[in-house]
Amino acid sequence: MTRIEALKWIADIFEEPADRITPDTPRSDIQAWDSLGVLTLMADFDQTFGIILSDEEIQCMKGVNDILEILRTNGKLSE
Amino acid sequence: MRFILIDEILEVNPGKHIRAIKHVAPDEDYFRDHFPGFPVVPGVLLTEMMAQTAGKCLEMEDAARGRSMLGRINSANFRTWVRPGELATIVAEIRTSRPRFAIAHCYVEVNGQEVASADLLFTFIPATQFAHDFRDEVVERYLAARTLQRGPNPASMLGTQPS
Repeated sequence: MTRIEALKWIADIFEEPADRITPDTPRSDIQAWDSLGVLTLMADFDQTFGIILSDEEIQCMKGVNDILEILRTNGKLSE
Repeated sequence: MRFILIDEILEVNPGKHIRAIKHVAPDEDYFRDHFPGFPVVPGVLLTEMMAQTAGKCLEMEDAARGRSMLGRINSANFRTWVRPGELATIVAEIRTSRPRFAIAHCYVEVNGQEVASADLLFTFIPATQFAHDFRDEVVERYLAARTLQRGPNPASMLGTQPS
């Protein structure tokens, strides 16, 4: 997945317009990144990539770049 | 009004698959308004039937995880009407079951025809949040019937995997 595709994937999860999501977008700017958003994110990581997020990973996520970093760490993001 | 939308569990493989039924009584109160002269089961109730069915499958897999709560309707389709007096068969297939969430694909059939389907996301609420004497009467009826049919089987108790 390219970075652009990843950003689109993240935008879809949080039901945001694609142009509102950049690597620098903080969690606080994404309205749907609440407790349900976290569950949705976990489920999509699991179903789309087979990545099971730990509670620690979830708690450490402060913005979009942290999501991208997990994809990168798991070899799912091509630069 | 009770909010138990499943009459009977027909079969269950905890955490994997469940099939249940609901007899839609002709005198359900909501038929007075939904709709006058054209009574059909509301789609939200069909969705709730699917959620309750999948939820029981999840709770029978791991009761310690807590009670399942519908968190999100990822998709839902309603293809045809369900009428008063019809027998609905509700099926849920658990696609993902994790400690914090689960995903199920569910559908409702009437006379062998799929009338509704939904993909549902569940989360879990600790059982301590609920009435301490809560008992799931639908699950208990299923377990009791199974015990009568097969004799006592500890593995069939709520919260444990089947043998």
